[in-house]
Amino acid sequence: MSFLDITTPVGSKNPAGPASPARGGSTADPNSRRPITPGKVVLYVLMVVVVLMYLYPLLFLVSTALKSNNDFVTNPTGVVTHPKLGNFATAWQKGNFGSYVLNSVLYTFVAAGLGTAISLAVGFPVSRGYLKHTKIWNGLFAAMLFLPNTLVTVFQLALRLHLYDTRLGYILIMASGVGVGPLLVSGYVKSIPKELDEAAALDGISYLRYLFTFLPALLKPVLSTVFILQAIGVWNDIILATILLPDQSKSPVTLGLFAFKGTYTSEWSLLAAATLIVAAPLLVVYVFLQRFLVASVVGGAVKG
Amino acid sequence: MSGSAQTQFVFGRRWQAQSSFAVAISLVVVFSLVPAVGIVVISLTDIRSLPFLPVHWIGFANYKTFFGSAQLAYNVHALKNTLVFAAAVTLFQNVIALFIAILLNQKLRGRNFARAVVFMPTILGVTVIGLIFTLLFNPTGGPGASIWKAFGASSAFFGDPHLAMTLVIGVQVWAGIGVAVVIYLAGLQAIPSELYEVASIDGASSSQKMRHVTYPLLAPSVTANTLLCIIGALQSYQLIYVLTGPINPATQVLSLAIFTQGFGGAQGGAALSQGYAAAISIVQFVIVMIVALAALTYLKRKETQL
Repeated sequence: MSFLDITTPVGSKNPAGPASPARGGSTADPNSRRPITPGKVVLYVLMVVVVLMYLYPLLFLVSTALKSNNDFVTNPTGVVTHPKLGNFATAWQKGNFGSYVLNSVLYTFVAAGLGTAISLAVGFPVSRGYLKHTKIWNGLFAAMLFLPNTLVTVFQLALRLHLYDTRLGYILIMASGVGVGPLLVSGYVKSIPKELDEAAALDGISYLRYLFTFLPALLKPVLSTVFILQAIGVWNDIILATILLPDQSKSPVTLGLFAFKGTYTSEWSLLAAATLIVAAPLLVVYVFLQRFLVASVVGGAVKG
Repeated sequence: MSGSAQTQFVFGRRWQAQSSFAVAISLVVVFSLVPAVGIVVISLTDIRSLPFLPVHWIGFANYKTFFGSAQLAYNVHALKNTLVFAAAVTLFQNVIALFIAILLNQKLRGRNFARAVVFMPTILGVTVIGLIFTLLFNPTGGPGASIWKAFGASSAFFGDPHLAMTLVIGVQVWAGIGVAVVIYLAGLQAIPSELYEVASIDGASSSQKMRHVTYPLLAPSVTANTLLCIIGALQSYQLIYVLTGPINPATQVLSLAIFTQGFGGAQGGAALSQGYAAAISIVQFVIVMIVALAALTYLKRKETQL
């Protein structure tokens, strides 16, 4: 996945626009740099426009969340003048976000963790040829990427297995949606020399111990990719949660936020605060894991 | 120890490998593959959301209902919306993403920050994105309303049947561009810089380099992005669900019809069974497959022509 390493500056020439021979150097020394050309200015303006297209909605959200509802009604677009944090406390309390966040954390970590373990347990032996019918299993992994919309059957299955409206049912269903996971694992395993398996076996290490204690360290990059892909999917799911978890006390945070929107339709600043409560953890995680997340998501998408 | 199709198993007894594989694969089979195959089966029944009602085989009756006169107008409308949505999202997302990728591939300060910002919606998820845009296009006041006011107009935005689809397409494009930009950037960076140097020596202008170097070598990325986008957009409804609700006719797409027919929300939702919703799933699946294969064939042929 090294080709996706987009944040590393790659020494390719610019495909269009003025060439800029100036390199490195963070100090703007006019002697060592070419004067800024009009073309360059246009490029910078365009970049600022693009960035604003994405940051403005977020900044507006923050500004609105800090306003009182009266402030918002009288001056909806202006920047907040007297920021108030009260909306967050009110939204947190009224929206019952504490328990929704706990639910989401539980679903995300358990389902994505279990899903990653599944991808490992099926991807590794198939990649190594330790089982019969390798071709059939590989075909199955590929087929899992393109399935019809299964909302109705998933609901019926949960209903008939008595997993409807249970946390266990929701977690099992989210965990088994492994998508591209087994393919990613089995692709990566090919880069691990088979001699390692043999050496471990000679030392008397059992298969299961090797699979769940030794391999995770060796497969760390691909396993974290698989985990993150699935975790994003579970955390952001709203449809399956709507169908499978009618009991509000089991709602994940997405469903809680959506219900909150239905209840406090016209209290925009409160709604903005609630949205920010849900978005903030994601944004914080993104700031720290940005490079890694981008590579994971795109790696999964391209493979799919 | 070694079977004919397998390699030597080094860990002694096989049962540990077989049993751990069996447990893992059966979870996937039960909760992912059985539902996928089961959709075909239950599309031939009148199964309902209540477990104690009897289930009958009704053959292709659900498909007849889908194409029958009572439902045809609604379904044609949903199909039209689906195709408009998918075509518009695919077109705008790809074109804008390509421009942004070329822009952010220039040697500009802060371009890494810009790339990160453009990718951010992928992490935020449909619910948060949906609420942000509900807020931006809040009819009682907000940036959207201010722009409309400047032109002496007002709008219900997501509540306006003429505007809702356009806005939903816009939000979907906004949310999806990040992945496309990163794929294009990877494609751009894979183009050897020597090609541009040679073109420069031959006296090629920027636009000629774009046309004769960048574009042909970027063709595989265009194919990947277009296919991802078509398949995603034809099946996507989560954002529409959050933005305009499940039963808004202006933004009714096929996948949303599966949801509303199967789980209520549709007007007179109880009238039709979940078997009918399953039949819509199958119709949709076939449409996605045909469109994706046609697009793949067309794009591959284009690639070899360049």
